[in-house]
Amino acid sequence: MPEKPTKQDDSFIVPIGPQHPALKEFEYFELRVDGEQVLDVSVRLGYNHRGIEKALESRTYSQNLYLVERICGICSHAHTTCYCQAIEQLLNVEIPDRARYIRTLVAELERIHSHLLWLGIAAHEIGFDTLFMYVWADREIVMDLLELISGNRVNYAMNTIGGVTRDVRPAMSDKIMTGIHQLEARARYYKGMCLEEGSVMQRVAGVGILQRQDALDLCAVGPTLRACGVASDLRKDDPYAAYDALSFDVITYDGGDVGSRMLVRIDEVAQSVHIIEQCLQQMPPGSLQVKVPGKVPSGEAVSRVEAPRGELIHYARSNGSDQPERYKVRAPTFANMPALSKMLIGGYIADVPIVIAGIDPCFGCLDRMSFVDVRTGRNWVWSSEQLRRRAQA
Amino acid sequence: MDTAQGKPSAESAVRTLVSYLGEGRAAEAQIPSTQRAFVTVPLDSLRDAMAFLVRDQGFGHLSTITAVDVNEHMEVLYHLSDRTVSLSLRVLVPKDHLVLPSAVDLVPGAVLYEREVHELFGIVFEGHPGLQPLLLPDGWPEGLYPMRKKLSLEQIRGVLADAREAYKARR
Repeated sequence: MPEKPTKQDDSFIVPIGPQHPALKEFEYFELRVDGEQVLDVSVRLGYNHRGIEKALESRTYSQNLYLVERICGICSHAHTTCYCQAIEQLLNVEIPDRARYIRTLVAELERIHSHLLWLGIAAHEIGFDTLFMYVWADREIVMDLLELISGNRVNYAMNTIGGVTRDVRPAMSDKIMTGIHQLEARARYYKGMCLEEGSVMQRVAGVGILQRQDALDLCAVGPTLRACGVASDLRKDDPYAAYDALSFDVITYDGGDVGSRMLVRIDEVAQSVHIIEQCLQQMPPGSLQVKVPGKVPSGEAVSRVEAPRGELIHYARSNGSDQPERYKVRAPTFANMPALSKMLIGGYIADVPIVIAGIDPCFGCLDRMSFVDVRTGRNWVWSSEQLRRRAQA
Repeated sequence: MDTAQGKPSAESAVRTLVSYLGEGRAAEAQIPSTQRAFVTVPLDSLRDAMAFLVRDQGFGHLSTITAVDVNEHMEVLYHLSDRTVSLSLRVLVPKDHLVLPSAVDLVPGAVLYEREVHELFGIVFEGHPGLQPLLLPDGWPEGLYPMRKKLSLEQIRGVLADAREAYKARR
């Protein structure tokens, strides 16, 4: 007679990921589940590892600007800002004030874009596709503004070492003002919808809970951390660009769940609008960039930026040549991975898509899920559509 | 250090750390600005210095860990932060003994950063719960560390091509 399976054997291994051809990040999660409940999570990243840090060591500082821009498609401006700041520190140059304001303005437009994109995706994950369509239609407004300023809808290429490449001309001001006020009104509308339309909060409140202390211990960043009631925002804590001259609030909620993460991001859209208004009003006239040498003296620098997803940190080491000795990039999604594992443990399989989406990663992994029964070895594959349907059941 | 109590100061954080470590274990510090500091400590003081910063000085946030390949040493920098100041704690690890104590018990958030540094530079973190591969593709040979200076881009491309061939052969 076969032995009775132990408690351990009752658990299933549920691999999620790694491939999704359309989205920009690939991840692999291996969940150990007992019935519907997640017992443990292990992560395997790197499916989109491009060896950028190694590549940065073999290119010149000005070539690297283009490579850094392409680390991420959504927060490319955050990366180039962080990169330029690091190199400017090494060169010991101060950029013109007007350039500081333009960097800030584009950064906030990028934040609005990123948060709206996320809200649409989150709505899609909880099966509220009408909201997804609405939000992504509004996202066009901010993309148009970014195109107006930079000529590009993504990869804005606004930053250069020593300043910015393009001006925000006075003629653009009215269009930007009209656009951001439209967006502010929409954000207010979406907040009302999320709070009043019961099906939204029912699906996100109390889901993917992260305790405040766990968030701090696991070094979570950005909206994920602020949704645990921690007022941490580098725009206030370690001001860069023009942030020390602007007034805005750091948004926190203390639910620690997907609902709080949603509200933090929606409220941050309104704060970004407020920051952009001030930029347009206060931006001093003047030059856009200072000339910088191609060779960078030996030294090291740490540069931090509050990207839409949280703390972005770059470390640069120069050796006196025109190429860096070492360049390190740590993006916010990587910082939030340990916290994400924590959120998934104890939750249900049906909540996995929205919890993973909740930290705003690029959740390319959800396209293909393979469920393996460890006792029989039988395995089957669920598409993201089936998963989503299951999530909504 | 509480931001509400006054201006953030990398200098005071460094001063407190240096006086805590005392004369015998001199730390070397650079303070490029009020919110940036780099402190080099001897290898045997790393745990002590980190525990002091994390537990007593509010530097509980580890932004990331950077390793740098310099000639006979690996430099490892722990970018700690009390939110306002970014303090990079640096140790030099000799290449013939690339072992460091894991910081996961002090800062649970170090778990993936140590895995990353281990995988790309070959530094072993003693006491880490599991240093499995994290970023490199399946079929990447064990014991080959791509971020080391002596491994060129051409060599890396060769290794990746071999891994792809081996994968195809297995199918």
